[in-house]
Amino acid sequence: MPERFGDILTMVMGALAVGYVVYEIERRRRKLHDIWDVLDEEDALLTEKLEEMVESGELQPYAGATLA
Amino acid sequence: MPRAPRGSAPSRRPRAAASAPRDTAAARPTEAPARIFDAGNSEVAAPRFRIYIVDSGWNSAAHRVLVENFALIRDLQKDDPIYVLSREQSIEFQRHHGSRIGRDPIIAVHDMEALDQGGTTGFHGFRLVLGLLHTPQQALQGLQAFARFLATHRRSKDLEADIRADLRREGLMGAIEIILHHEAREMGE
Repeated sequence: MPERFGDILTMVMGALAVGYVVYEIERRRRKLHDIWDVLDEEDALLTEKLEEMVESGELQPYAGATLA
Repeated sequence: MPRAPRGSAPSRRPRAAASAPRDTAAARPTEAPARIFDAGNSEVAAPRFRIYIVDSGWNSAAHRVLVENFALIRDLQKDDPIYVLSREQSIEFQRHHGSRIGRDPIIAVHDMEALDQGGTTGFHGFRLVLGLLHTPQQALQGLQAFARFLATHRRSKDLEADIRADLRREGLMGAIEIILHHEAREMGE
């Protein structure tokens, strides 16, 4: 009985450990994508707005040496 | 914040509607390769990227790191125009895109080659959301990785694949570190 209980406990702990690793990898993957990601159709409106600002002359290449 | 002079128009390609591929017949009946000429009338390559900085000025580590290192970033990216939205423009921008409030500074890079080919419907660049990096060291590392990526992928034939490969590699490294209980890479925590 104690042996069986030990086996079950080992399995549960192993499953928890694997679950934690999977969760942590997924959490970091999402975080990384939040920080650094591609621009695609979801960003179309933002991209178009910025490009329009350039085309209309509202935005010009920054000529200052430093940001204030 | 000093503003750019108004007189000098940016070196830009002829452009059709941003949302559509630029070779649509209606938008551009006679598609010609983008050619830019300098003052001496010799042909120079059009910039591959347009870099946009949106920063409403939160008193954050990322903002300070960006301000302190901007001159270096600018010197490293001389080949591409950098457009810095003013504080007012950045705030207005974020008022219309509320989910991005508090995530700036954001650096968006438009890949003009991809925009020329596919418009904004598919891949057309990448972004670094610097405001999600909470310590000066994380923000500096993010900025350095950004500058390195731009410099090393300027002539990439498939930028999207390169970015996704980098993300996969970072994810794999993260997984290995988690398994090894190595907590050195705490970027973005």
